Amino acid sequence: METYLFYILATVTVIGTILAITEKHPVHAIVYLVTSFFSLASIFFLLSAPLIAMFEVIIYAGAVMVLFMFVIMMLDLGRADEAKRPPLRQWFLPVILGGIILVSIGVLAAGYVTTPHAPGAITVRDFAVTLFRKYGVAVEIISMQLLFAVVGALYLGRRRP
Amino acid sequence: MKAYLELIILLPLLGAIINALLGGRLLSRRASEWLACAVIWGSFAATLAAAIVYRAPATVEIVSWLSDFDFKASLTLYLDPLSLSLCLMITFVCGLIHLYAVGYMKDDPSSVRFFALLNLFVAAMLMLVLAENLPLLYLGWEGVGFCSYALIGFWHTKPANATAGRKAFIVTRIGDTGLGIAVVWMFELFGTESIPHLNQMGHLLPAGIVTALGLLMLLAAMGKSAQVPLMVWLPDAMAGPTPVSAQIHAATMVTAGVYLLMRMFPLIGVSPTVTAAIAITGALTAFYGATCALVQRDLKRILAYSTISQIGYMMLGVGAGAITAATFHLLVHAFFKALLFLGAGCVITALHHEQDIFRMGGLRRTLPGIFWPFLAGALCLAGVPLTGGFFSKDGILGAVWLKGGALYGGLYVVGLVTAFITAVYTARMVLVVFCGDGIHPLPPGGGGLGRGGLKQLPRIMEWPLIPLAILGLCGGLLNLPEYMGNGLLHLFLLSLGSHEQTLPHSTEILLQGVAAAVAAAGILTAWFRYGGKRRQESLAKEQKPAGGIAAFLLEGWRVDALYDLLLVRPYTRLSTFLWQQLDEGCIDDSLDRMASLFGRCGQWLGGRGQGRVSLSLLGMAAGAALMVFWMVWGMP
Amino acid sequence: MIVPLAHVLILAAILFGLGLVCTLVWRSNVIMLLIGIEIMLNAAMLVFVGGSNHWGMADGQVFALIIMAMTSAEVSLALALVVYLHRRKNTVDVDEFRELQD
Repeated sequence: METYLFYILATVTVIGTILAITEKHPVHAIVYLVTSFFSLASIFFLLSAPLIAMFEVIIYAGAVMVLFMFVIMMLDLGRADEAKRPPLRQWFLPVILGGIILVSIGVLAAGYVTTPHAPGAITVRDFAVTLFRKYGVAVEIISMQLLFAVVGALYLGRRRP
Repeated sequence: MKAYLELIILLPLLGAIINALLGGRLLSRRASEWLACAVIWGSFAATLAAAIVYRAPATVEIVSWLSDFDFKASLTLYLDPLSLSLCLMITFVCGLIHLYAVGYMKDDPSSVRFFALLNLFVAAMLMLVLAENLPLLYLGWEGVGFCSYALIGFWHTKPANATAGRKAFIVTRIGDTGLGIAVVWMFELFGTESIPHLNQMGHLLPAGIVTALGLLMLLAAMGKSAQVPLMVWLPDAMAGPTPVSAQIHAATMVTAGVYLLMRMFPLIGVSPTVTAAIAITGALTAFYGATCALVQRDLKRILAYSTISQIGYMMLGVGAGAITAATFHLLVHAFFKALLFLGAGCVITALHHEQDIFRMGGLRRTLPGIFWPFLAGALCLAGVPLTGGFFSKDGILGAVWLKGGALYGGLYVVGLVTAFITAVYTARMVLVVFCGDGIHPLPPGGGGLGRGGLKQLPRIMEWPLIPLAILGLCGGLLNLPEYMGNGLLHLFLLSLGSHEQTLPHSTEILLQGVAAAVAAAGILTAWFRYGGKRRQESLAKEQKPAGGIAAFLLEGWRVDALYDLLLVRPYTRLSTFLWQQLDEGCIDDSLDRMASLFGRCGQWLGGRGQGRVSLSLLGMAAGAALMVFWMVWGMP
Repeated sequence: MIVPLAHVLILAAILFGLGLVCTLVWRSNVIMLLIGIEIMLNAAMLVFVGGSNHWGMADGQVFALIIMAMTSAEVSLALALVVYLHRRKNTVDVDEFRELQD
């Protein structure tokens, strides 16, 4: 049952992403992307990472996408009459390059066979212990980076005379 | 007992905190003045209560403070005769000074800051005196240093005052370094910081180490007590308001160094080198201060140099092993020096901030309420027989005489000469300021101040002088020589365990006779120069810019210039070199050049590229695709 | 493990490829370009979570979280830059910003 669910969700994710990147209207693109991220969050849940799934919904589908939306509205980029998709000739090269990378990784992944170790579920407790015991320094650094980002954003966003 | 001891320290601290936080906003000016005085007198009452119930040395732990493995320094207070007698003096004298300050700072806009700092000053000094362990003593020591810095530069808008404050802070810092090293070293040697414990361990160590410890503490005392060669800050400390000068000179700050040496004497007194060094420093300083005071024109500077000189006497007493005599002199000196400073403050305020003694005169008739107490203080300072100053100074000289030997014999002679000079300059000060007719020809800009020109003084500035005068004059009763019946203080301090020998009565009377003769000779010398008819010509002579030895003395033996030449200027030059050549020339310049090099490289590369973000992205993706492709199919 | 690790990796590869295409194609709109970067980062997170699930270790999830935190920092700065650049040139076309060339 869960296996089918995975493939269904994977399909939704891929379709949502394709629609998002081909949509000419940025606001619609973001809505598609939110759909895609929701199903990705469900996949995370299936992969026994409930906490990450939750964060995906809250931070990605919630905060980050809203931030994008906010900037689009603030800069008034969402007007339907001005939105235009890149011309078709611009798509060739990127699609070819993306295709090469996709096929290569796919071949690599398909040929990669290992037996799964210890199918014991990862509890939130394990996650927390690993995060704060093993990667405590990383938490500190990340928190500092967030602080710098805030300061930088404030600096860039201030009104200049 | 515990409650009393806690109150002694916590009340001034509380006053300082409340004044600092609420003063000026929630508290009215009057309330903050009242609060500042009330906490000090409350502290005095607590000290008095502690003295009444005092039976034996008491140790009271208020709260655990620093504690780590075997290092332990809690907030512990230690009350013994020495600290008790000092606490009584400090709280009493400071209480009077606070009352005086209410009148003195009447018109100052930032009096709240003043009173908060003054209270903090007293709290820090009491902490220093009552500390049971060295880190706590160090805390009080630094607190005193900080408060003196903030108060000397209290009128900080004038650059000279701020400089004087900084000078006091920096010069005393040299001594503080010595104390800091000694504190840490003692913990490393003994594993304890408790002063009573440390004092019992002096015999356990090799003499060399005790000597080194003693010299470090002597360095600390030199800085704090303004001894040669670190005395340069005290004359400049006159920049502060007069109550601060009185407090620094009489009750707090400068006595801290002497107190430290007395407190640690059982430890460092083991080494004869240290005691000799202390005695020599003291005698030298006494002589230095007295000679400088001889020619000064500024009333407060005369008193400052006399303080240096008198503290030198105390150090001499400590060096001679006479802790009782040194304590006695410390207490009496606190009374009469506070009196002299407060009196000088009255005179200066009355004359509209005129500090030059040659512009004063005849104040005996116009300011009688200040003249008589001031005269009492001057008599004590000059060592006129039967005043407190006479007995205390004689106690020290007697102890030095008792030590005998070439060194102490020489120091005795120095002490005697200093006593003579002290009598001369004290008499000169009194005669010039208070006698005469008050009308003398002055260089341009001035004019004799008539009676009408005097500023009315608040009563509260005049009456603190009275109890101080009484105490100064009758201070001798605290510790009468043995032939008049033993002194209270002597019996009280006997429990400290210092085994001081006493002079035979006949010798003591003889020595006192000599001292009295010296004092009388000094006063007569001054009288012949400044008294009666000769006053005018002597003053006229001294009005001229001083030359020769007088100029040398006027500038405090030119020590400031010497230090400027030896330390300040090389330091400034080194800093300028480091700043302009090394920092700006070398480091900044190389960084600037590197930055501009990178900038030019970037421009060169930029000119060759397309500058389009999309193209760069495409190139990056193409590279990534190539790498992945090679990883899958290209790798063997 | 509900599906083989390879399938998760292939899904991640597809997402990554789509994100890359989005980044390369949308040169006329810097916001869409940033969205492409977000998609690629999500693909990386998926690999981490899949690996974490495969080996039963929590480390992969920790890194997914760290990526998320880093992304929020990056997005806030990047969008601030977009606002700043839009204020200067009134456009979001990537190729308009080429002052570094000269």
